[in-house]
Formats: sequence, C-alpha cells, structure tokens
Amino acid sequence: MSQTIDKPPVTSGPTAPLPLGIFSAGIVALALVLGGVFFTQFLWASQDRELSAACSERMTASLPGEEPQLLKGGRAVCHIVDALKSDTQAGLLIAGMVVGAVAIVAGFGLYKRMPNKRQRNQSIAGAVLGIQSIVAGSLILLFRSGDVLVFIRNFLNLTFLEGSLDGFIRGAKNTVILAFSGELLGIAIGLSLAMLMISKHRTVRAPAIAYINFFRGTPLIWQLSFFGFLFLLGFQWRDAVFQQAILIFGMNMGAYSAEVFRAGIQSVEKGQTEAARSLGLTYLQSMGYVIVPQAVRRVIPPLMNEFVILIKDTSLIFVLGLLATEYDIFTFSRTFFSESRNSTVFIGTAAAYLAITLPLIWLVNRVERRLRSGLIGVAG
Amino acid sequence: MNEDGSLVRLENIHKWFGNNHVLKGVDFSVYEGNVVAIIGPSGSGKSTLLRTINLLEEPTEGRVLFGGDEITDIRTNVNKVRTHIGIVFQSYNLFPHKNVADNITLALRKVLNMDQKGAEERARDELAHVGLAEKADAYPAQLSGGQQQRVAIARALAMRPKLMLFDEVTSALDPELVKEVLDAMRRLVDEGMTMVVVTHEMGFAREVGTRLLFMDQGKIVEDGDPRAIFADPQDERTKAFLAHVL
Repeated sequence: MSQTIDKPPVTSGPTAPLPLGIFSAGIVALALVLGGVFFTQFLWASQDRELSAACSERMTASLPGEEPQLLKGGRAVCHIVDALKSDTQAGLLIAGMVVGAVAIVAGFGLYKRMPNKRQRNQSIAGAVLGIQSIVAGSLILLFRSGDVLVFIRNFLNLTFLEGSLDGFIRGAKNTVILAFSGELLGIAIGLSLAMLMISKHRTVRAPAIAYINFFRGTPLIWQLSFFGFLFLLGFQWRDAVFQQAILIFGMNMGAYSAEVFRAGIQSVEKGQTEAARSLGLTYLQSMGYVIVPQAVRRVIPPLMNEFVILIKDTSLIFVLGLLATEYDIFTFSRTFFSESRNSTVFIGTAAAYLAITLPLIWLVNRVERRLRSGLIGVAG
Repeated sequence: MNEDGSLVRLENIHKWFGNNHVLKGVDFSVYEGNVVAIIGPSGSGKSTLLRTINLLEEPTEGRVLFGGDEITDIRTNVNKVRTHIGIVFQSYNLFPHKNVADNITLALRKVLNMDQKGAEERARDELAHVGLAEKADAYPAQLSGGQQQRVAIARALAMRPKLMLFDEVTSALDPELVKEVLDAMRRLVDEGMTMVVVTHEMGFAREVGTRLLFMDQGKIVEDGDPRAIFADPQDERTKAFLAHVL
C-alpha cells in the first residue's frame, strides 16, 4: 500500500530576470571582493613572481662580513604583501564595491515593487550581499593601506608553523582530556550540590551556596594558582600537575553545573513530584527515578555549552607548569612561540581550538533543536 | 477503620496559603463504598480539600485520620499511607520519560517491592481494565489526553488502593474524550471502590455519586444525597451555583 504525502503548495511564485539580476550582482560583488583576495594571492604564489624591491629590501638581513640573506619565509611573506599591495588587488576590490553599490541601490529601490515573495526576497538578498561586499572591501582597503609587512611577517609567516603539527595534535588531545575529565567531575559535583540546593532546610543549602558563590566569584586562574600551590606545598602532592588541574577544573565546573542542574530540576513540573510521591515513592526515589532523569535531558545543551567554555578555559593551565608531554594547545603554542620568536603559531592555536569547538557547537545546536521538537527528546 | 467507622476522617481542617485562608474549618468523613462528589465554584477549596486527604497539602490546622491512624502526626510514615490512597490529577502527570508499562510498574517495584514479572503482569491487567492493553509500550506523548488519563487511573489502581481521589480529571480534556474517562470511573464505582471526586461534571455527580458536597469559600455548605440536593438545594449559595451551572 503506497501512501502519498500531501505537500503544502509553493506560494512564493516564480522569479524574473530583474530580481535575479540584483541577486546575481550581490553575489558577484562579494565574489570579487573576497574571491579577489584569494585570486591575487594564488596568482602571486603560484607564479612565484619577482619580489618587489620594497619588500625584499626589508625582508633581507645582512650580517657584517656575510652575503645579504632573505629572512626565513621571506619569499612567501613578500608574495603575500606584494599581491595585497598590487594594482590588480585594488582593481578587484573597487570593482566589487561598485557592483555591490549597484546591487544595494537596485535591491532596496525596487524590492517593494516586486510582484511576489521570491522576487522580493531575491532583491533584498542582493542588496544585503552588496552591503557585505562594501563593508568587507572597505576593511581590506583600509588594511592594505597600512604597513602590512610587519603584521604579515609576524602573523602569516606560515614557514614558522613547520614542525608544529605533532605538538598541536598532542596539545589537542591533552586539552580534550583536561576538559572532558574536568566536565565529568564537574557534573558529579554539580548534581550533588544541586540536590543540596533544592533542600527546604537552610542548614543543608548553606554550604552548597557558599561553595557555589566562592567558585563562581573568583577567577579560574586564581583557583588554579591557589589550589595548585595548596596541593603541591600544603599536601605535598608532587608530580601530578595534570591531575591537580583536572581536579580544579572539576571543582570550578561543579559550581556552574550546580546552577544548571538546579534550574533543570526546578523546571520539571510540580505535578511530576506530586504524582511520584502520591504513589508512595520517597523523596529520594522520586528524585532519582522521576525528576532527575527528566532534568538531565533538559540540561544537556547548557552542559555542553559549559564544556565548550571549559575547553577554552583549560588554556589557563599554563600557570601551573606542565611537562612537555602534558602540554595543552595553549601551553604548547606559548612554548613554540618562545622558541620560534614568531607569532604565526597563534594562528595555528586558533585553528586547533576551532577544530575541537566548532563540531561541538554544531552538535549543541542539533541536540537543542531535537529536544525542543519534543517527542524524541522526551521519549528517547 | 477510624473510631466513627469511617475510612477517612477530616477534623477541623484549616489551610492557609500565605495570608490566603483557603479551608476554614472543614469536618467530614468518608465511609467505605462512598462515592463522594465535591462541587463548588472555582477557588472554593475543593481541590485543596481533596489534596489534604493524602497530605499533598499539609493542613495548617486540624487532623486527618485514615484507617484509624492520625496521618497528620509527624511520626506517621506518609509514604506508606499514600500507597493506600490513589490520586488522579487534572493534568494526568504521567512520567513522560517512561513508557506506559514503566509508568505503572515503577511504584509496584520500588514501593511494593514486586518483582519485574509480577509488576508487568499487574500493569497489563490494569491496562486491559481501562481498555489500553495494546498501549503498554507507547510513551505518554504518543497518547491522546483521554488515553493518558486512563493510564493515570490504571497507574493509581495498580497499587490496589483502598481509596481513590479524582481531582477534576476531565477538565483538561477535549469534550469528545471526556466520556471514555468517565466510563472508566463508572466501572470503578460499579466495583465498589471508595472514591472522592472533585468535578465539574454535574451529570456524573448526580448519576454515580452516593454523596454530594457543595463547597464555597473554604467551607462545606451542603452535604447529602446528590439527587436531593440537585432537586431541592437548601442553602442560597447552592441554589445560585446550581442555577448558574445547570
């Protein structure tokens, strides 16, 4: 038996040459501005063009008694600088901004006269893309008008990234271990604190509130320094900085997770507790079998958000002094920087953090949508 | 059994919510086999009175006796008492993360300490009783309001209570779903269950109630045979209310 699914009719209407043209103009404008940068860069690098005198002069060092030598990565840096400063680049930017301006004027001028939704939306989209191309184009023009060489030499000298890959991979692994272990511990501490927080007895609530306020009210970097020294000097707990850091991250996350769990527990309808208690379940049973399982589903997205925050905050571990094998992404980057004396490594740092956090952020949004859509999240 | 032969006895119950005096000295007893319908305007304290019986609301003043024990005594194990008193709520309050069978077996296993097999058997029986045998594996969100409410009734009955409380159980239902829930309650009446029913269904109150309570402003105004009260209300307030709703 085949079942046909009725679909709602499409009411946005057909497009027409004029709005399609405005939309295309917006696309072309943005492509000229952003694509133009990549195009010129690709042109200069792939053709290995002659270096400009202005750049090669500044990228050359001459020690007394030796032949003048191009600095490390000098060719690549000069290609970037020369391409950016070229007339080709300027022409592409200005062309893009002009097309963008046309799209803005036409799009905003005509969208109200468009006969249907699709054509109106295309006009507006074209104009918005035009605005984006003008903003982006102006910023790039502003940037290339300055002394780009110094910046590019220090931050986009990719030659200096050589040999950093292994370190980044190990750093990423350690960062994830630190954050994940800290988060797990934080969840355990947080759930326990939340149970105390919802008590009707003030004597039970008070210590939990004190703990939470303390850890939320002091900087994580202070907690790392203070408790790090406490463990090391006070408890004579040596050679375990990594484990101590996990403990401190967990203690800190516990305070934040407690608030998340408390809100989650209190968001479960009062009727659920009443139904459970009316069946003769004790307070703890109704918490354990009825309330907390529902609360946990609701707090998954905020807990994952905390996990993303903790991944970034693990960078503060540098105050503790780790072994080379224990380096997280940030500590590794700092060390690598102090050896290479070039900041380009920090571009790699951002890439490494993003490689971990972007998939997580995507996942949080997905889970959130699923939970909001109801049935699956509740029943699953 | 209480001294006066009743199953439940409320003595001089007062309930304050903040400065709001909701119950103002209520006395009444429920005897085994009674089907007590409580009616009255909204805010008259009907639901609060009902919820006082299983101590979901703790009376500010007064005593509640159940089966000879004073359950308002702080030393009473309320959890134990509640296993003998089933309650069904207006908003069903099924556990949304558990399927229908688990909704019923949870308390059987954790409170009555039945084994998994015995609990599942009893759940099946009770579901068949309310005509939902085939829904054991469904989740509450997959059921209609009427079906959810019947599951809630089955969940309460599975504990084999001595008394059933119904708190406006049809008020949240679409009109076409009211009948299936009322039918399930009628069957219970036929089986001789002792029931206290807060309701807006005047027809149901008149038809199946063995006693009718009319409440207004935190007090019981009239208490008697439903047909007699509907036919010839004594108090002015009862007259006005019935004239308004009938």
